[in-house]
Formats: sequence, C-alpha cells, structure tokens
Amino acid sequence: MSADNTGSVRKRVVVTGVGFITPIGNDWAGVAAGLREGRHGFERVEFFGNPNVPVKVAGTVKDFIVESMNWRDWKWPARYEIARETLRGLAPHGVYAICAIDQALEHAALPREAVADDDATGLYCASAGSAMMLHGHLKQMDQTRGERGNPMGVVSSICGTLNFNLAAHYKITGSVCGFVSACASGSHAIGYACDDIRLGRLARAIVVAGEELNAETLLPFAAMRALSAQSDPAVASRPFDVARDGFVGAGGAVALILEESEAAAARGARVLAEVAGWGQAADGHSVAMSHPEGRGLANAMTRALADAGVSAEEIDYVNAHGTSTPVGDRAETLALKTIFGGGNGGKKQPRVSSTKGLTGHPLSLSGAMEAAFCVLAMNEGFVPGNAHLVNADPVCEGLDLPRATVNERPRLVLNNSSGFGGSNVCHVLRAPGA
Amino acid sequence: MLSQSSDSNLPEKLARHKPEVREAYARYRATGDVEAVQIVILAMVRDHLPKPSDAPITDEQRLIEDLGYDSLAVAEVVFAIEDTFGLRIETSEIMQISTVGSLKAFIAKKLGPQGA
Repeated sequence: MSADNTGSVRKRVVVTGVGFITPIGNDWAGVAAGLREGRHGFERVEFFGNPNVPVKVAGTVKDFIVESMNWRDWKWPARYEIARETLRGLAPHGVYAICAIDQALEHAALPREAVADDDATGLYCASAGSAMMLHGHLKQMDQTRGERGNPMGVVSSICGTLNFNLAAHYKITGSVCGFVSACASGSHAIGYACDDIRLGRLARAIVVAGEELNAETLLPFAAMRALSAQSDPAVASRPFDVARDGFVGAGGAVALILEESEAAAARGARVLAEVAGWGQAADGHSVAMSHPEGRGLANAMTRALADAGVSAEEIDYVNAHGTSTPVGDRAETLALKTIFGGGNGGKKQPRVSSTKGLTGHPLSLSGAMEAAFCVLAMNEGFVPGNAHLVNADPVCEGLDLPRATVNERPRLVLNNSSGFGGSNVCHVLRAPGA
Repeated sequence: MLSQSSDSNLPEKLARHKPEVREAYARYRATGDVEAVQIVILAMVRDHLPKPSDAPITDEQRLIEDLGYDSLAVAEVVFAIEDTFGLRIETSEIMQISTVGSLKAFIAKKLGPQGA
C-alpha cells in the first residue's frame, strides 16, 4: 500500500481475470501463441463485393457470424450461452463482449452469481456503438417515412449499447457507465474503474471494450485517408516502419476483472497484475490528428508514472499505441523520447512495441485489449516484438524497438492510447511480486 | 444485410419459421382462412418469447404475466405481425392487448372481412 498526498493509505487495484475475442486469438492460450510467435490476425476482405473499395485487409474476428442485422442469423462459439432476451437488444460487438466477459469471469474464478446484484461490482464499457445497426435502423425509418422502427433499434445501436445490455444481462448494481473517447475509450474505462475502486466506491469492476469490423465502422476511416491501402496482410500494418501508410481495421472485445487488492486476497483470487497508476492529458490541437510533438501523450505518460510512483527508468516495456499511421507513430515516438530520453543522457530505455502490427487497430477496443496483452506478457514472461517492422522510421532512432519476441519478463509496463480530439491515456501495470 | 427469403411472396420475418407456418401463411393469402392466421400468430408469439420454450401456448395466457414478455417484446411481436400481414397497429391499440387470445382476435378483426 502507498500513502496518497492526504496521508491516507491508498487502495490498490489488481487484475484477476482477462477474456479475449481478438483477431489473433479468442482465449489466453491463443493470444499468447499469437503474440509470442508473431502470428498476425489479418485476412483479405472485400466490402460491398466491390473490388474498388480501397480497403483490402482487416484484423478479422474468427468463429463468429454476426454480419446480419438480425440476431437470429448470428452464430458464436457454443461454450458461451446468450439468451434470446439478451440477444434481441445486442449489436454484433455486444456478442463479442459477452463472450469476453464470461471468459474473464471464469479466468478470475468468479461465478456469474457473484457479480449479479452485488452493489460492490461495477461495469465500465468502451464502445462507439454500432454504425451498422444504426444505419440499418435509420434506413428502415427512411423507407417508411418515419412510420416504422425496431423497438430494439436504440439500445442495439447507439453508443451506450454495451452498457445498456451488459448491465441488464449481468445484473450489475454497483455502477454502470460507458466511454466514447474513440481510440482511447478502452483505456479510459480501465482508468475510471481503477479510480472508483481506489475511492472505495466499489470492490470490483468489470471492464469491457468492443468494436465491430464491418463496412459501416471501417470505411469512413478510408475517407479520412487513415487506412493502409496495402493488399498484402504481411505488410499492411507495420507500426514505426518508414513505409507505413495507415492503420488496418480490426474488431473484437476484451474484458478485464479489476479488484481491490484486499478484496481479491480475501477470496483467494490469483493476481495477474496491478494497475499501479494511470494518467491522461489532451493535445488541444486537432479534431483527428495527433499533436506533432505528442505533447498530450507525453503529459499523460508523465502523469501515469507519477500516479504509480515510479520513474521512467523503471519501465521495462511500453506497449505503444502505434497504429501505423505516418503522423500518429511519429508523434508517439517524439512523446516517448520526451519521457525516456531516446538514448540521450544515458537513461535506460524500455523495450517499445506496437502489437497492432499483429492485430490491426480495433479503435474503442484498443486500449483495453493492449492492457490485457501486457498482463498476459508479464505472466508468460516475454515482450512482444514489432511485427512487420523492417526499416524503422529515422525519427525512431534511440528507441529500443525489438523486431522479434524478447524472452524476458517485464515487471513494469506502460500502455499508451490516443484518440481523436487529442485524448491520451496511459496505464502503468506492475507484475505480481515486482 | 437482411437475409432474404427464397420465396419472394413470403415476408422476411417468416423465413426462419417451420414449413407448416409458412404453408399456413400461404393458405391465408390464397383463401383468407382465419385458422391459418391463428397458426402464424401463435408461431410469432412463440418466436418472440424472451425465454424460449416448447410448452403449449394457450389463448388465456397473458403475454407479460404468464409468458414473460416485457413491453419491448410486445412491441416487437406486434411490429413483426404488422410487417407480415401489412397491417398498421397504433400504440393505443397495442396497450389493449393482454392475452394471446386477445391478440389473435384483434388481428383477425384488423384483417377485416377476409380474415374475420
């Protein structure tokens, strides 16, 4: 325990379970193998059956069929039970989210009954809603000139769709809320869940982030020229490479179970990691572009380190936001140099990698997915490499960017996320016993 | 994105139903057979049960209290029936429907002479 600036002992927050539905695997073992062996989760895609659409590759979610607007057409792995009364209000990424939460609860050895109607358990969701469902429902409204609508149209499509549905499904009574800071949403959900536990409002939080991979979600980013135009899955996502040309879209959901450390100990929970601290800061610069020197991200890292009470030199590994866009990766590189010195002054350099070289960029899901990857890497004892990085951008000189997996256990990890509007969030995660 | 029925005359919402339900719908369209309408409505009521069940559904059962419907599920089944039979049902009319039997009678009345 540590004392805060009021002199009182601060509660500590630990991760006791994670669940993965990601392009590189749908469980711990699958994700561990994908990250360690550098196996990407990309497939060739063609939207609208139109070869002229300039998006050829995506980080797809395997073993799910959720392309239809009608839940009666959906299929998901048989080990997960989702009742009709829940399905009717879900968006496709809600199906991913339930599978991820069920997996995380099982991983944490928490039965569903333990979180249901428990005033000490809260739910923190990250989702941008379902553009596909919203489009379909509004199209129906247009076609009927406003006379028809699906009764579940609102709850299955707007930005709160995860919180609405999952709070009802899991009978959450502690608190429920949602975050919409684009690609920082998942990290915000972790941060605020952490704060509510530290403040003593809750003993436990389920954090879940989800994103859909379909034309409605992804193609608007092509209009912004933010996506890679590559057609080869092996080179489309290459964060920090001098030839990077945009991000590769991805979908999925990831859940983390956060618990107050003494409450976790009291039930004999296995601790996977501690959320040692977090920080956020804004760029104040552009609606969509990163600050050119990564000002907000550097400030967010500084605040996260201060919150955790650790110095930059103690960080072993940084899971970079690194989406593979020319502007974003450059800004993050400069922010990292601001914090870690970039090899100047003899400061110890952390390993830095972006796992989006394997997964692509799942937007709202990104921060939570990568926090869970960090938890996994700390427990499995390796640092993921920078997949598909061949020629590092000269601006990266001084950063330690391993190409391949490094077989060393990171003890303190920093996880970066940045979203539209200059929203930057960082977490510091500490390995058990470190 | 919506899946399409192979029978162009069959409403999309019936595409997943059993053959006897689709046949009943076709019979209603051809003959105005009121019994056929009842078969289709009963199938749609079962299809919208929030908790699926194979137990018999009787006319006396109340949608909410006995079958576990909530107000959204009632709206869903009414809208599905509207689309299937090309009807228009006002919200105030939905509020009058409580039992399976009252739903059947209401739809039969709505369909007019052909279905009455």
